[in-house]
Amino acid sequence: MALLGQYLVNGIMLGTIYALVAVGFTLFFGVLDVIKFSHGDVLMVGAFAGFTAAMAVAAVGISNPVLQLAASVVFALSVTAALGAAIAKWLILPLKHAPRMNILLVTLMLGTALREAVRLFYPDGSNPKAFPALLPTSALTLGDFTLRADSAILVAAGISVIVGLHLLINRTRLGLAIRAVAQDEETARTMGINYALVVLVTFALGSGIAAVAGVMNGLYYNEVNFGMGLLLGLIGFSAAIIGGLGNLYGAILGGFLFAMLQMLGAVAMPFASAYKDVFAFAVVIALMAWKPTGLIPERASERV
Amino acid sequence: MMQVETALALDTLGLPITPERLLDIQGLAKSFGGVRALNDVSFSLGRGEILGLIGPNGSGKTTSFNVLTGLYRPDGGKILFDGADITGNSPQAVYRAGIARTFQRSRLCLELSIFDNIMVGNHARLNHGLMFNLFQRKAFRLEVESALAEATELAASFSPNLAAAMFEPVGALPMIERRRIEICRALISRPKLLLLDEPSAGMTHDETHQLMDDILAVRERQGGLSIIIIEHEMGVIERVSDHCVVLNYGEKIAEGSYQDIASDRLVQEAYLGSEVGR
Amino acid sequence: MNQLFSRMPPLAAAALAALLAFVFAVVFMEQESDVAVISLLALGAVAAWGAGRVGLSRRVSAAAATRPGAVAALGGAVALGLLAVFAEDHFPLLMLSTVMLYATVALGLNVQFGYTGVVNFAGAAFFGIGAYTAAELVGRTALPPILVLPLGGLIAAVVGLVLVVPVVRTRGHYAAVVTIAFSVLFKTFLEVNDTLGGPQGLSVAPLSLFGWSFGEGPEILGISASFYLNYALAALAVLALAFVMVRRLERSWIGLSLDAVRLDETASACYGIGIRRSKILAFVVGNLVIGTAGALYGSMLGYIAPTSFTFSDSLILVAIVLLGGMGSPWGTVFAAAIVVILPEKLQAIQEYRFLLFSVVVMAILLFRPEGLLPRAVRRYMPAPKEVAR
Repeated sequence: MALLGQYLVNGIMLGTIYALVAVGFTLFFGVLDVIKFSHGDVLMVGAFAGFTAAMAVAAVGISNPVLQLAASVVFALSVTAALGAAIAKWLILPLKHAPRMNILLVTLMLGTALREAVRLFYPDGSNPKAFPALLPTSALTLGDFTLRADSAILVAAGISVIVGLHLLINRTRLGLAIRAVAQDEETARTMGINYALVVLVTFALGSGIAAVAGVMNGLYYNEVNFGMGLLLGLIGFSAAIIGGLGNLYGAILGGFLFAMLQMLGAVAMPFASAYKDVFAFAVVIALMAWKPTGLIPERASERV
Repeated sequence: MMQVETALALDTLGLPITPERLLDIQGLAKSFGGVRALNDVSFSLGRGEILGLIGPNGSGKTTSFNVLTGLYRPDGGKILFDGADITGNSPQAVYRAGIARTFQRSRLCLELSIFDNIMVGNHARLNHGLMFNLFQRKAFRLEVESALAEATELAASFSPNLAAAMFEPVGALPMIERRRIEICRALISRPKLLLLDEPSAGMTHDETHQLMDDILAVRERQGGLSIIIIEHEMGVIERVSDHCVVLNYGEKIAEGSYQDIASDRLVQEAYLGSEVGR
Repeated sequence: MNQLFSRMPPLAAAALAALLAFVFAVVFMEQESDVAVISLLALGAVAAWGAGRVGLSRRVSAAAATRPGAVAALGGAVALGLLAVFAEDHFPLLMLSTVMLYATVALGLNVQFGYTGVVNFAGAAFFGIGAYTAAELVGRTALPPILVLPLGGLIAAVVGLVLVVPVVRTRGHYAAVVTIAFSVLFKTFLEVNDTLGGPQGLSVAPLSLFGWSFGEGPEILGISASFYLNYALAALAVLALAFVMVRRLERSWIGLSLDAVRLDETASACYGIGIRRSKILAFVVGNLVIGTAGALYGSMLGYIAPTSFTFSDSLILVAIVLLGGMGSPWGTVFAAAIVVILPEKLQAIQEYRFLLFSVVVMAILLFRPEGLLPRAVRRYMPAPKEVAR
């Protein structure tokens, strides 16, 4: 029972991280109908930026963990937001009219480039880095079951980011513009919406959220490494697709669903927990065979 | 097998099988998420006849083509073609039954050559066996030569420029030539029924006129080809159609000769209404 | 000068180009220092540009259109010549064999997404399935070892069938996620599966053909050649077979259907082309080719591990296809040579190769999406002479 509770907490934790990644894919797909596959590696860059900031703050003698954390998050956010906007401006918008596959390919290659750049050029980048523990580690114990404060804070932070995004999309002028562009680019343009600007802001926003996920991931596992983005990106992409691309809530659902699958794999096959990712991806492949455009289908309208 | 069943079904329904009718559409219905794109549309087409399908934008003309060619599955109604029930058949099966179409926005493969594009339409008559294509290269070569001769001749009846450039990519050609290639692609397999979706779109008045002349000439030579044409240019409809069907909001509002429907009050309202609405 | 080349008979021009390519390749392969390699690369680039200026390139492409068989034979002769020159040296032979096997794999990928538009980001996984099949079969079973080549292909194609339903039912990015997931799944599976050697991998026994063991260097004309010569010849045979078959497939009605499916599924369906049938055919044929090459690769290396078959390797394979030009078999071979040899010769960039090639492919996609040697318009038969103007 206690073990099950532990799995549940783990699942919610991972689900929150995955949902944050998936939300980015869905935002990009919404405004531009493209898949930006470098998203996972942007997340990794964000995690490294956060790590660097935390180290830098510590190096100048500030040992207050709250300040370190704030610096870490702010720096990670700004770096990835700028990176996301730059990718949109120089890589994705120029290819807007090329075959969609080219955008997928270009961003796949960019992901590799980012990954390799960090591995090669970050000091000792090919080795994992120990992310400092900046959150309180006190724990609440109920019998065998322990709920650590850091987990609770991370989940709360992740969920508040999701709620914040929900409010931003539904209650602000910016959100309205994003929804308008997602609905119909042509009409949005004629209504006087600055299309290119909305795209750039959306990419900055989605990438910034990925940075939060990256820092969360670093805090949770106490580690960042150059390869972390590939798997997280793929999981986020799978989650977004399971939930139906372009559907914000579907993406969140997909994120938690994927985490549940992994936990299920670990619980059902305790003798072979190493196979949990194999199991989760096998289920994703099977899901795609069953529902080729996700559980909540993408709105498809091809003019014949 | 299909045909026997259909004949039986028709018998029990007491419907006459009239061989002179090539196409019989009965009570066709199609909705998209609650919007009725087609509602109880019925019309029929005789052999060798040209039917003009007209109506304002969004009245269901192209949708009826898409249902007819199997791209959309109808929610209700029946499509009888050449004595067989083809309702809900796949696009591939509809093509093999003898229906070929063009598209409103020309759908050619721009990177491929003129010959390639025309040969896409010839799929039913070409040998697609793996052994034949990979290993019997001499026999394959003979098939290519005869297909090339036929396609070149067909293209030449539209434009000598096309016939001279069979191995040039389509993407470099102007709109009128692309339309012609699309029509060659539809005609090469000698279909019984040709569906033309706004052949005049993107062309000048004179070009359209010339294109229709060419189509009529080919029809003359192939003999017995029936055509359904969707068109906004009423001049074209007046000139080529034997009779017309008018759609509005997915329903048939009038049918008859061009003169009949041109003087029909409902039709005038539908068009004027849509003009004012714009 | 200009006149000289633009009047040259196409086949003579092709022969001249082949000779130049051969000499260049021999000299290039023998260089050790980075400076020499870079200078030769610059020379090669200038020569290629010059060949375009004086009209040699156009004559060569005319030859490729009018006498495709003869041009392919010239390509084979260049490859054989290179194998003969380096018959005694392990390393150059290993490199040339790797080029030929990667080119074979990229030809298989070309059938899948160059022609049919069926994306496959698990190329390295299917390559690995071929290699692991070889590891499990050669020496461990009573099968004649040479049979592992077709079996490697067959097993790869059969495993690929697991993905057929999702790949055929999905399009674009949805299909991409299926194959990427498979790619990651495959490597993870290899790492955790103990019977397949886990992260350490497996050793592969050498191939043999009618008692002629590939593990020992043959004696030819009194020269004791490297044992890699066996594998290089086998790789050349596999590449030649794949090349001829892919060419024939492209220049057939089937190839036309595959192209039509890639370019416009709706129009294809309205003209009777079976969309699923075409995609399944392309996916299976492609994996067959990839798996066959993988089986030979595994036998040649003698030792295989999961790290050779990662998602990044799949991307390198995709990069070869894009760099050469989608659907262009000659471009594929050329790009395979660049992608495999360059990092090996330029030790300075060895470490940076994934970064380098990803940036190069991004540039290709942005500025020259048709690739280095763009695909020519399909001619089902050798073109008549007058085209060769």
